[in-house]
Amino acid sequence: MFRLGRAVALPVHPRSLLVAALLLVLLVAAAAATLSLGRLGIPLTRLPTVVAGAGEATETFVLDRLRGPRLAVAAGTGAALGLAGALFQSVTRNPLGSPDVIGLGAGAGAGAAIAALVLPGIVPVPLGALGGAALAMLIVATATGTGLRHPGRLIVAGIGVAAMAHAVSEFVVAVMARDQASVLHAYLYGSLGARSWEHAAVIWGVVALAVPLVLVIAGAIAVNEMGDELADALGGRARSTRTAAISLSVVLTAAAVSVAGPIAFVALTAPQIARRTTGAPGPNMAVAAVVGALLLVLADLAVQHSPIGDGLPVGLFTMALGGVYLGYLLIREWRRGNL
Amino acid sequence: MIGAGAAALTGAVLLSLVLGSKPTTPLEVWRVLTGDADGFTATVVESRYPRTVLGIVAGAALALSGTLMQGVTRNPLADPGLLGVNAGAAAAVVTATAVLGPTSVTATVWWALPGAVLAGLAAHAVGSRGGDGGMVRLVLAGAVVSAVLTAYVQALGLTFPDVFDSYRHWVVGSLAGRDFDVVASVLPVVAVGAALGLAVSGGLNALALGEEAAVATGANTAWVRSGGLVAATVLAAGATAAAGPIAFVGLAVPHVVRALVGVDFRVQVPFALLAGPTLLLVADVVARTVVRPTELMVGVVTAFVGAPVLLYAVRRMRETT
Repeated sequence: MFRLGRAVALPVHPRSLLVAALLLVLLVAAAAATLSLGRLGIPLTRLPTVVAGAGEATETFVLDRLRGPRLAVAAGTGAALGLAGALFQSVTRNPLGSPDVIGLGAGAGAGAAIAALVLPGIVPVPLGALGGAALAMLIVATATGTGLRHPGRLIVAGIGVAAMAHAVSEFVVAVMARDQASVLHAYLYGSLGARSWEHAAVIWGVVALAVPLVLVIAGAIAVNEMGDELADALGGRARSTRTAAISLSVVLTAAAVSVAGPIAFVALTAPQIARRTTGAPGPNMAVAAVVGALLLVLADLAVQHSPIGDGLPVGLFTMALGGVYLGYLLIREWRRGNL
Repeated sequence: MIGAGAAALTGAVLLSLVLGSKPTTPLEVWRVLTGDADGFTATVVESRYPRTVLGIVAGAALALSGTLMQGVTRNPLADPGLLGVNAGAAAAVVTATAVLGPTSVTATVWWALPGAVLAGLAAHAVGSRGGDGGMVRLVLAGAVVSAVLTAYVQALGLTFPDVFDSYRHWVVGSLAGRDFDVVASVLPVVAVGAALGLAVSGGLNALALGEEAAVATGANTAWVRSGGLVAATVLAAGATAAAGPIAFVGLAVPHVVRALVGVDFRVQVPFALLAGPTLLLVADVVARTVVRPTELMVGVVTAFVGAPVLLYAVRRMRETT
């Protein structure tokens, strides 16, 4: 048990530490591959020199302008989504309850589209994304009734909310920006093309703000996983913990969407991979964040070097793979009789 | 009640002829219909004939498809769009376009049909794995099939932007820019589906009582079930081929119809055949007037109408599951 005063207490699981270290190594390897593969790539042997700031002009340009920011945004967005998914799945006690599955990503996308196109300069895009995600959450919660517990209902409501959000986005694109339509279209499926350090600063800033808050409620969330009654009996205040976790999850999702668009299924899969690899009970927040970062960096790497050209939004790639995974997950869940 | 439905459809047809990016008056439309108008007005109004007819055909097909699906599966969430049929049709059409180059809308029908049927079968296969299909399983399976196929369709669309320029409007569902050839090419498909659907719809009342009671009443449940699903898929595929993947009409109409005329399928089916075209035509009128002078795709409007119905259905599920 890792303790920091009375507020912060983190159960530490030895295998989790090992897994996290291993995943970090993989993440560094994937990051190095992202920077060095392909035309214009910085050769691996030159990488330390260039990162240290002593590279030639072309190399520095590739690192500072082309691939560095994109990599930073990919890792930060993946971490935010992994964390958001872990929080959400844990407090709804539902492996399928994930921000992207229930339409939060699509809602944030619609909010971002409105902020960017209908109210340019008046409402910052991240704030629009946050509003969209919050509204989507509210609609899902209303449609499912009081609890977010029933997995099937949660997802079906999410399908409805996502459909409405897509309709809003399509409407905004059709009305406001015919010439920008194809750029926006890519954005609406989640893209990491042409990112700058400002995008990286936004997403890493939000992640940095969220991590201490996650640490504060991590203990309460772990207690929550045992069920509301038990959590309340242990002084856990299940409802307020759930509200806090879901709010954090909404903020993280909105931040991810505002820098990269709604990237599908990372929030769904990262926490589950974390749980599977560590074998640890509980939400596995830190590992989920690292897995999320690794997933998105790898997905972006695959998209950049896919034969049908980059420019393809990375969200489509995760959507295709994540869809297959969701199918597997559904069959497993209803074999167990959970659905 | 059927009279009111017919009146609503007539009104919707009139609206569809009168309103558009160039608004006309009912009087002008009357003059065009009687061959007594100036050339310009006649051209404007006549350009609205094909989309109105297409709206009637596609709306009726989708509504009947949804009614059959919800009746057969006894699942208030069943909808051709949600079950992946639309995505299947879209995937088949983009594949054909990518391989063979841009084809006529008429040709897309023959690609959309097998794609729709295959995707529907895939969703059923996933949804019925590991035991009896529950209320939400088919929808979830459909969501999976749709997610994978949508990613594929979008990826192809973004990779070959020139080829897919014309197709972009088809993919969100639109009644615009179709001529009578399109209607004519899907009409046989829709007619076969509708005939089969009407033939089995009498058995849906028995099926609604549950498997054992239905068998006890002497109903041939296997025939009603398989015939109903085949008809629903064929109808959805025909409508999708002609108008693009229009979601939620098949979901929303049966709910509205049930609320208005009750649970007897002998009344529901004819009423759905009136309500579907009414909904689709009104949605299309909204789509082409709300952002004048440009047009919105009708699929966007039906999502606004249909998604709340889905959310309402989810809320109602609380009592049954």
